[in-house]
Amino acid sequence: MTRFILQRLLSVATTFFIVSVIIFLMMHSIPGGPFDGGEMPLPPAVRERIMAQYGLDQPLYVQYFKYMGGVLQGDFGVPFQAPGQTVVSLLSQAWIPSLVLGGLGVLIGAPLGILLGIAAALNRNTWIDYLASAVATLGLTIPVFVTSMILILVFAVWLNWLPSSGWPEPHKWILPITAYATIPLATYARYTRSAMLDTLNKPFVTVLRAKGLSEGRIVYTHVLRNSSIPMVTVFLPMFIGTATGSIFVESMFRVPGLGLFFVSSIRTRDYPTEMALMLMLTLMFCVAYIISDILYAMLNPRIRNGGRST
Amino acid sequence: MHLVEISDLEVSFPQADGVVQAVRGASFHVDAGESLGIVGESGSGKSVTCMAALRLLRQPPARISASRLNVDGTDMLAADKRKLASLRGRVAAMVFQDPMTAFDPVFTIGYQIGETIRAHREATKAAARSEAEALLARVEIRNPSAVADSYPHQLSGGMLQRAMIAMALSCQPRVLFADEPTTALDVTVQAQILQLIKELQAELGMGLVMITHDLGVIAETVDRVVVMYGGRVMEEAPVDAIFDAPQHPYTVALMGSMPGLAPGRRLVEIPGGSPDPSNPPSGCPFHPRCTQADARCAAEMPPVVRTGPQAQAACWRLT
Ligand SMILES: Nc1ncnc2c1ncn2[C@@H]1O[C@H](COP(=O)(O)OP(=O)(O)OP(=O)(O)O)[C@@H](O)[C@H]1O
Ligand SMILES: [Mg+2]
Repeated sequence: MTRFILQRLLSVATTFFIVSVIIFLMMHSIPGGPFDGGEMPLPPAVRERIMAQYGLDQPLYVQYFKYMGGVLQGDFGVPFQAPGQTVVSLLSQAWIPSLVLGGLGVLIGAPLGILLGIAAALNRNTWIDYLASAVATLGLTIPVFVTSMILILVFAVWLNWLPSSGWPEPHKWILPITAYATIPLATYARYTRSAMLDTLNKPFVTVLRAKGLSEGRIVYTHVLRNSSIPMVTVFLPMFIGTATGSIFVESMFRVPGLGLFFVSSIRTRDYPTEMALMLMLTLMFCVAYIISDILYAMLNPRIRNGGRST
Repeated sequence: MHLVEISDLEVSFPQADGVVQAVRGASFHVDAGESLGIVGESGSGKSVTCMAALRLLRQPPARISASRLNVDGTDMLAADKRKLASLRGRVAAMVFQDPMTAFDPVFTIGYQIGETIRAHREATKAAARSEAEALLARVEIRNPSAVADSYPHQLSGGMLQRAMIAMALSCQPRVLFADEPTTALDVTVQAQILQLIKELQAELGMGLVMITHDLGVIAETVDRVVVMYGGRVMEEAPVDAIFDAPQHPYTVALMGSMPGLAPGRRLVEIPGGSPDPSNPPSGCPFHPRCTQADARCAAEMPPVVRTGPQAQAACWRLT
């Protein structure tokens, strides 16, 4: 197990390094720089001085190592879009709305999806099953900005029950959380249903019936436990993906979250902020995958304790 | 009253393109302490018959009917879910063909045996667990406590089959259905497992239904034989009679080219293919392959005729 974890950590460190290089190169290969402003062109001399001040005149690999050196000490530099602040202070405000709305969206959507999936698997080819399939298909095919738009249209514009902006008062959270919840709900409904059906068809389920277990015990002790293994492992990555804010949801509901900064930083060629966001996201996904892998190994005896022993 | 009584059992599976008639009117019985073998080529309905006896087939899709389907005096067709669950494992247990897929991969063997015990009577987890170890010891596993702590993937097929037998016997059932319990195992292990089943059956005075392809197994383990073909019972007779004086042409063909009886000997191939279960032949299902068939065999299913004490067969030649 320790070796397993060390292996994972090593591979994650490698992934993180490669991804950081790729992002860095990508950011620097987007045409245009932060100080090429079209409306107020800077005199070339001034522009060069500023570029030198920010180190933008040096070879890329020097810039990269300087930057990563800072990052390792928690210094993500100064955001070009708000030169008075640091990137850390700029983003420290923004993650709260994303985490609250996205996080609650997953925490509400995933359990509902699991329940729907279980109900569908246990009542195959009944209306519950068809409902679950419809929900899963719609949830996964309708883009989240369309869902958001429909929610705003129906509940804010027509019915006028809820405000169309999503921050900061809690009653404004309902619509964006609903928009966020659709994806984990749909994903989990589909995942759970197919994992349950898959397990229910395994020969060991017949053996469990043959030894006289009740259907309830078979489903809740054995089938669910076996089906949960793949379900547990998708949770954390999904949580990270959603709780870091969706550009679409945050712009539809005017939420001042991380998602918006992804866009604004690209528009303003704000490398430091964009880099910080991307690296954070990469790191969080890496950690999420490590934890998922460990959980998977813990839940799955075939991996937890190796081969044949007796 | 017989321990297991099956009369006119019919099992079919409706499919998009027709109905698979897996069992087409099978009848037999098993008494306490007696062992019955069911032989027949692949697809003849052996497994489906036993699964139907314990109502282990999902309905739908399966459709089951019988004029009688009794296990230990309980009408299995009328029994509700709770009644069925309480009978299974306690009164009638089953050992399956493939031990490698028979256990839940995420629980230990000890847990799964203990779970069976706890499903049928009050016992603490610890008590069930130590009973599981005792059962494992009884099926001649040398390190029962290590095996009880193992997960299925850590054990060999032979070890798992012993464990499945231990699990099946954990509540001292009155009848044990064993569906090709040795087919998936190494030849050396097969003989041991058979010996074990035979011994335990005698010791517990159980009824035993042994499904197999292996005539050697039949010769060694059972008292009486049911020969199935195309979802029907062709012949039923004490084991000696089946080998020494088979009556039905199908049984004769099965035995015919057998020079001697040794364990591991399989049913021989008879020219022609098995009947298509979704479009079975009219009359006697064996008539297309039977050397003695005539027009009547193709037109009408022969009646069951007595051929000796405890023996009967369904063939126009014997009427
Ligand atoms: N769930 C099912 N759905 C449809 N057809 C089935 C189902 N189970 C069994 N059958 C069919 O019923 C027939 C009898 O099957 P069964 O498993 O009883 O044969 P068997 O005699 O046990 O054969 P084998 O020796 O290969 O185990 C076969 O044609 C099989 O394809
Ligand atoms: Mg079979």
